[in-house]
Amino acid sequence: MKPFDIVIVGGGGAGLYAAMEAMKTNPALNIAVLSKVYPNRSHTSAAQGGANAALGNKAKDDTVEMHIFDTIKGGDYLADQDAVNVLCTEAPKIIRELENMGTPWSRMEDNTIAQRPFGGATLPRCCYCSDKTGHTILQTLYEQCLKKGVIFFNEYFALKLSVSGSRSKGLIAMNMKTGRIEAFAAKTVILATGGYAKMYWNRSSNAAGNTGDGQAIAYRAGIPMKDMEFVQFHPTGLRKSGLLITEGARGEGGYLLNKDGERFMARYAKEKMELGPRDLVSRSIETEILQGRGFDSPAGTYIHLDLTHLGSDLIKSRLPQIREMSMQFEGVDPIEEPIPIRPTAHYSMGGIDTDNFGRTVMDGVYAAGECGCVSVHGANRLGGNSLLDILVFGRIAGHTAAEEAGKFAPGMISEAELAEQYDAIRSGMHSSGRYERYGELREELGQTLALNVGIYRESSLLQKGIADIAELKERFKKVRVIDTSDVFNTNLIQVLELKNMLDLAETVAAGAFARQESRGSHTRTDFPVRDDANWHKHTLATMVNGNVTLGEKPVTMGRYELQERTY
Amino acid sequence: MMASIDQHKEGKKDVTFRVFRFNPQVDSKPYFDDYTIPVERGVTVLRSLNYIKEHIDGSVSFRAFCQAGICGSCGMRVNGLSQLACTTQVWDVLAKSREPEVIKVEPLRNLPLIKDLIVDMDPLVDKMKHYSNWVDSIMPEAQMGKKEFLISEEEFLRYDKATDCILCASCVSECSILRANKEYVSPAVLLKSYRMNVDSRDSLHDHRLAALVQDHGVWDCTHCYRCQESCVKSIPIMDAIHGIREDAIECRGKKDTSGSKHAEAFMSDIEKKGKLVEATLPIRTNGVVWTLQNLLPMAMKMIMKRRTPPPPPLVKSAKGIKVFREMFREMTEHVKQDHKSHKK
Repeated sequence: MKPFDIVIVGGGGAGLYAAMEAMKTNPALNIAVLSKVYPNRSHTSAAQGGANAALGNKAKDDTVEMHIFDTIKGGDYLADQDAVNVLCTEAPKIIRELENMGTPWSRMEDNTIAQRPFGGATLPRCCYCSDKTGHTILQTLYEQCLKKGVIFFNEYFALKLSVSGSRSKGLIAMNMKTGRIEAFAAKTVILATGGYAKMYWNRSSNAAGNTGDGQAIAYRAGIPMKDMEFVQFHPTGLRKSGLLITEGARGEGGYLLNKDGERFMARYAKEKMELGPRDLVSRSIETEILQGRGFDSPAGTYIHLDLTHLGSDLIKSRLPQIREMSMQFEGVDPIEEPIPIRPTAHYSMGGIDTDNFGRTVMDGVYAAGECGCVSVHGANRLGGNSLLDILVFGRIAGHTAAEEAGKFAPGMISEAELAEQYDAIRSGMHSSGRYERYGELREELGQTLALNVGIYRESSLLQKGIADIAELKERFKKVRVIDTSDVFNTNLIQVLELKNMLDLAETVAAGAFARQESRGSHTRTDFPVRDDANWHKHTLATMVNGNVTLGEKPVTMGRYELQERTY
Repeated sequence: MMASIDQHKEGKKDVTFRVFRFNPQVDSKPYFDDYTIPVERGVTVLRSLNYIKEHIDGSVSFRAFCQAGICGSCGMRVNGLSQLACTTQVWDVLAKSREPEVIKVEPLRNLPLIKDLIVDMDPLVDKMKHYSNWVDSIMPEAQMGKKEFLISEEEFLRYDKATDCILCASCVSECSILRANKEYVSPAVLLKSYRMNVDSRDSLHDHRLAALVQDHGVWDCTHCYRCQESCVKSIPIMDAIHGIREDAIECRGKKDTSGSKHAEAFMSDIEKKGKLVEATLPIRTNGVVWTLQNLLPMAMKMIMKRRTPPPPPLVKSAKGIKVFREMFREMTEHVKQDHKSHKK
């Protein structure tokens, strides 16, 4: 295969926007998109609620400036203010652009794009298409990429960045249909593989494949990870599966009730009530549960999300998907009775450290979307800002890579390097001397993370978590791949994904242990207040000799001074 | 206390999953493996398959991703019916199962088999490309991002349901035309084509429609409704197919297709006689030359076996034709009114 100008890893919103924008920037470039699923399956499709943009369709007095402030405050002042500036300024343009290419949006009475209130936002600015916003955006982008003739390598699993000195030569990946290890020599690589919150497994709303593949291969190539300890717990996951009930359900007027039937948010966020920012609402629910005001059940303690007062018509027209999910996964019809919920790991604020143009520290390697960390979400992401992030920074990364591809000589990946990769992932993995079960290790990883690196964190718990992860990494060396075939070996893929999660779990736990303060989604019971003097900074986790080494990076400030964050 | 123990018993049973297996590297033909596992009420087919893969046989292969019914990865046939494994409750399937406590799991039909429950989705993607399943915006690329198109709620509702499609290919698997003709456009692609064609921002309407009325296109559908019945998102796919056909008949220049002529011949027969005049139907659909070239041998055989339909003069009007004509006229009026209000 001849070398590519740009290889994009990941076919979700960020990857597809990057591909489109790169083609637009320079139509002569040879661009490929690799994805371990068909692009239309990507997790972007699961985003229900919407994307924020200060269009002013619903609230005429909304401004980009207010969006910027809400985002910075929501992120507990850890976001880089210049990056937030880019995010919010580009927002109205990119939402209109999507609309212009054919994305279906729900409409206001004056036929403009509809907007609704969302957590942490001063005014209603979340643009939506009922409760399938991410799905319709992903469909539109995939359709537009097909129209433009983007070259897709579907069902390819990224294994390794091939590195020479300070720059990347391209990517090594496995063709899942044949099991062959293939080289993608490239001038530039854009990593856009989504988040890593699935490491919490059953206590995660994420797709099974959100295993941080892009971050893991970058991390192993020596690229630093930023703010990995910040994992957002969404307040309303379904009790049994961790699957998500959109914030839109509260945006439309849903109540959170404890077992005494009390709207307990009155005690935590008097003004915003159920529409407080996600970290605050999650902690409030967890506190209710810890203090014995939750409902007990064999599948865990939970509280109620009550929509019954909204009426059948509104639920059917505005929230049909969550009604369907409640019925399918909990056997509860929200028109008739409240939905049992508890917080679930939902989003990774951390990711590959990038600048405002998507560049990483390695020449020719870029990252965007949940995979990267610019950072625009700081210590806590606002609802409606993640779809926006993938669109804005996916486009920017595509544009930057297209402009800069010419700077780099095409890479060359040797047969020997491919053979080495093959040996590394296949040799002995099927041997009968290996006895560890993939499923057990993954289950234990999820459990220790939820218990020890969860919503409430504390020194001794975190030490336990770190020790558990180290032990699991040791046991991983003995894990056995049962399926010996080359064709579509999903068993092998699961094991490779587990390796990625284990490597990244170490950075999450290490960052959480080091950060001796409470900020945004990171809550230390032993350090309950924000400590700006010592911790108003990003953490950087880099792999050195196979171990995690922590560093730091200053936060870029701007117009907004540090303030206490209250709602 | 007794009640809760009984409930517990009732809430769990041993279920046998009869799983379709085929590994092209070693198997010359497919076979089934039985796995019996304890299943509680509330567990989905996908969770059961995950359990089998993790605890019994790691080589069982299937796709799964979001596990929440939105990504469309885990389409498969459960007891013969194409659906998503992640949203299908085991106990619901058992309630209708022919063999007690047994659930048969097979790959989707009408797409090439790769391994076990995994089929190749590429043919579907190729068809999406062939039928331009994208909006080609009337706004030039350079102008984009400056202002919104103003779209009425009414227009949005025209494609709202169609944009629910997650391309899980359940409809593709159930389609009776695809079983006979793999080149057939496919229900999902018709649905997407319809969605694009009713979008006022799109400029490819005529081009797309011209492709849709060709061979293997919209006129090949036989209205079996299996696509719509199997749709995991309950999308009225047949409305989309009818929508494209009506559009094709209405559009000048598209009248000249066998499909539209066939439909019109049906209409005029029903209006006049209340039943079909079968003898001349092929001529009115495909013309004299085509009929002579293609159907003469069959017509000869039919004559030999005395199976020919009666010639037109001998087809008498159906009983109660006058009342029927009145109802027919009223119905067509209604449909016309409906269309007018839609167009507004």
